[in-house]
Amino acid sequence: MTDTAPGLPRLGTTLFSLTLEQRRAGGDLAGLVREVAARDLGPGLEMVAFQSLRGWPRLSPEQEREVRGVLDSSGLTPSCLAINNDLGLYPGRLLSDDESYEYVAVQLRGAAALGFPVARVGVETGPAILERLLPLAEQLGVKVGVEIHAPLTIEAAPVAALKELFTRLDTPWLGFVPDMSASMRAVPDAVDDAHRVAGIAPELTALTKQLWAEPGPTMAKFPELERRAAEAGATPPQVGNLKMLFTMHGRMAPERWADFFPHVVHVHGKFYGIVEGPDGLTDPSIDWPAVARVLREQGYDGVVSSEYEAHAYSDRYSAFDQIRAQHDMLKRLLEAEPAVAAR
Amino acid sequence: MGPLDDQVVRADSLTAGPDGLEIAVWSHWYRALPLPSLARVDLTVDGRRIDPAELSVTVNGTRRPLSEVAGAGDEYWFTTDPLVLHTPVETAPGREHRVQLLLGLSIPYILTGPDRVPLVAPSATDKTLTAAGART
Repeated sequence: MTDTAPGLPRLGTTLFSLTLEQRRAGGDLAGLVREVAARDLGPGLEMVAFQSLRGWPRLSPEQEREVRGVLDSSGLTPSCLAINNDLGLYPGRLLSDDESYEYVAVQLRGAAALGFPVARVGVETGPAILERLLPLAEQLGVKVGVEIHAPLTIEAAPVAALKELFTRLDTPWLGFVPDMSASMRAVPDAVDDAHRVAGIAPELTALTKQLWAEPGPTMAKFPELERRAAEAGATPPQVGNLKMLFTMHGRMAPERWADFFPHVVHVHGKFYGIVEGPDGLTDPSIDWPAVARVLREQGYDGVVSSEYEAHAYSDRYSAFDQIRAQHDMLKRLLEAEPAVAAR
Repeated sequence: MGPLDDQVVRADSLTAGPDGLEIAVWSHWYRALPLPSLARVDLTVDGRRIDPAELSVTVNGTRRPLSEVAGAGDEYWFTTDPLVLHTPVETAPGREHRVQLLLGLSIPYILTGPDRVPLVAPSATDKTLTAAGART
């Protein structure tokens, strides 16, 4: 385990980091959990229910026992189960509020049965459904956290509505799951691999990175990206891939995560690659010293789940090695100064 | 766009089935999706466009016409399971085929635009592969 000092954020891993490993030999749930434990990448263990659990959201009692057995024998601590509100489940219509509530409620019960203390939902689960889920969350002892992922920022209207809800209800059972994709300082270099395979010229990738890094709201930059990429010869599907970079990587200042407290129930340690820099391990695309400072100043002692996502762009790196490097870096950053209790 | 795209159709995906060429397809999405997410299956084999009405699909052990998949919202296509496309293309073990597939998966929790329509995530494949004998 990568144990941090008492009172500090605890580290962990989400199996989502191992999306490519899952497709390889030995990549079943038991194999991946065993490997995470063997490499000391806990103590926290998170997973995406629909990714890792065959039969979800209706596990048989036997499947449930089997999953619990895998978790119990690993020595890891279940930290968060990512669940989904599939509003577009049926072609041509969205789920009604009642259907949506039921779809999430079934999964919340499933999370409780497997021993997860937090369930992550996406922002498509809005304030009305969340408020309706509150009694169930309290009864089950499972916190429901809404993930704040790029392109969301603290300024986005849905985020403001959630903040208002959490402040009004003043409950520990509902809150946010900050995801560092929303507060990046550069587009990750792993993107270059995916663009090469997709036949996107390096000049187009460079143009997109340059526009991304310029000041101003990212959403306002789409027209200029479309125009300049088309002028430089990008095909419409390629323009779509370039625009995706603006959606997947947000530019909120990491200090703004402080505004989400005290309603933070879990943290996604999203990252795309740790490298050896002149001063030790560093993350070129995420300002972890700033994030660690916020977490410490807010007295956050929940789990930071390492969420390696460069697998979406490249299979060149070992996710296990990358998480090891991130854990080593985070432990150093978190333990660098005496803890400050702000709440 | 990414490493999973290359695994949608794998080197051993083609089988000479009893009623034509069978193509094993893996999802390029990281999580299991409900079966109606199979929104678009544009398939061309050896230059011949296959009418979706001629396709059937086996997933979770059940074979159904592609058109009926949209009604199977309570079933999911798991991350590590192949889905088999049954085509009317004549074949035999050892025969080579060029497979061009544009797979469009409707992502039910990512809603886009003012009408809140699910995102369709495409993955394009163009591979020439050899059919194996039927798996019995």
